[in-house]
Amino acid sequence: MAQKPKVDPHVGRLGYLQALVTEFQETESQDAKEQVLANLANFAYDPNNYQYLRQLQVLDLFLDSLSEENETLVEFAIGGLCNLCPDRANREHILQTGGIPLIINCLSSPNEETVLSAVTTIMYLSSPGSGSHPELTAMPVVQCMLRFSLSANTRLRNLAQIFLEDFCSPSQVAEARTWRAHSALGIPLPRTEAPQQP
Amino acid sequence: MASSGGELGGVFDHHVQRAVCDTRAKYREGRRPRAVKVYTINLESRYLLIQGVPAVGAMKELVERFALYGAIEQYNPLDEYPAEDFTEVYLIKFMNLQSARTAKRKMDEQSFFGGLLHVCYAPEFETVEETRKKLQERKAYIARTAKNKDHYMTKKKLVTELKDTKDFRQDFHSGTSGFCATTQNTSTGNLDPCLPYSCELPLCYFSSKCACSSGQHMDRASNFSQDGRNHAETVEHCMYNDSLQKIQMKPFKNSLACPGAQKAIPSSEAVDRFMPRTTQLQERKRRREDDRKIGTFLETSTSSNEVMIGPLLPDIPKVDMHDDSLNTTANLIRNKLQEVISSVPKPPEDKLEDVHTSRPLKQRRRI
Repeated sequence: MAQKPKVDPHVGRLGYLQALVTEFQETESQDAKEQVLANLANFAYDPNNYQYLRQLQVLDLFLDSLSEENETLVEFAIGGLCNLCPDRANREHILQTGGIPLIINCLSSPNEETVLSAVTTIMYLSSPGSGSHPELTAMPVVQCMLRFSLSANTRLRNLAQIFLEDFCSPSQVAEARTWRAHSALGIPLPRTEAPQQP
Repeated sequence: MASSGGELGGVFDHHVQRAVCDTRAKYREGRRPRAVKVYTINLESRYLLIQGVPAVGAMKELVERFALYGAIEQYNPLDEYPAEDFTEVYLIKFMNLQSARTAKRKMDEQSFFGGLLHVCYAPEFETVEETRKKLQERKAYIARTAKNKDHYMTKKKLVTELKDTKDFRQDFHSGTSGFCATTQNTSTGNLDPCLPYSCELPLCYFSSKCACSSGQHMDRASNFSQDGRNHAETVEHCMYNDSLQKIQMKPFKNSLACPGAQKAIPSSEAVDRFMPRTTQLQERKRRREDDRKIGTFLETSTSSNEVMIGPLLPDIPKVDMHDDSLNTTANLIRNKLQEVISSVPKPPEDKLEDVHTSRPLKQRRRI
């Protein structure tokens, strides 16, 4: 969870977050970047911080960091997004700024936590029943979730199952099942398990 | 990032305690040394895995210690889980997530019967339904907190506006663009209380323009809206919002001004009717005494000559106590209360009346 900062009391929460963002932008050290991003992502867990985070455009910072090469940064960034996306204002921002493709990309990550956070973020961004954003329940995504739902990894399996049951229509799932055999689009499973063969 | 098996009870990466980070910059060092880790709702769970429990048959004490943080639904030792020599591993399931989070935070790295406990979450033990419920609760919690915050902020803003209405109006006119931009940013219409902060802070993630706060907000607003038209609409929307707030403020202001108004109006009435002031005071006193004698109080009696401005104080509900003496007492108390309330604008008269009946009434000079 978020740490208690040793900071001048008069600087306050906003000042501290500002300092974190500044350090992230300016530092050359990968370690420092990871630490700061993790700190911000943990702050994103508490709804009381959301107005500050929006003001400092931390949401955009998270979305940008999804394209980083450093896998740890991606893991922390998608974790931060997963923490704050259930909030309606944050959700709108992510949808409007074209965050969906970036998040769907995370489904292909070899990092287990990244994939889990991505699946959860997609669920929070969709409303129950297929409807709000068609990209979130597009064929590749549903196929990917189908594969996840057969995974040996319990957490992934559970999340994928919830996605298929609550956020896809039965016809979409059925279609994805028939397509799976032919589709050239494969989203590989995370490295933590052997690939599933149909 | 391999885990040694997807089976339940296997070792997972998230069970492993990571090394504490020792390269943190001073300003962001916490009170306790911690590892670099992000906790999401996926990782947190009602299930806690406790490692490093000395094998001294202390399961009962362990559970009791954890039960301090919340009700426990079930617990069991995990015999097949790899553990160091002479230590055991337990799984504890709490009734709710918040208890589990508190327990984890407090009990991790605590000593127990000579050993150091390592506590972590074990979400892999959840069923599909439990996971689903967990995600839904998180969403509901955020929605609730956001709604309360909006409510609180709007109330707070109204109160602060009331206190310095003049200042606010000036600030509003000078900081209109900033105000509007933040209203647009937070689509829930949340009034941004951080406006004073933004004046001091020059840097923001995307702003390449110079460090003027209102300019900054304008820039972000234009990033948001595709065309200038949207921005103009937002400005109108802001003005409308604010004028609504001003209207809401009026009755509030008036109720505060009520005592003053009550003072002022009778004197003007006196001037209009050419009645000497003493008569007014004596008349009111007489009326109050009449009411006391009758033993009932009607609000309209004292206010028939006075114009009540602002919200009326709520009428004290009369309850029949089914006992004569109790009823009399209640009535006496009620009347006294009403008397005190009605005599608030004119305290000196009552006081003098009660204490010094022999001395003639001092006439208060009224403007």
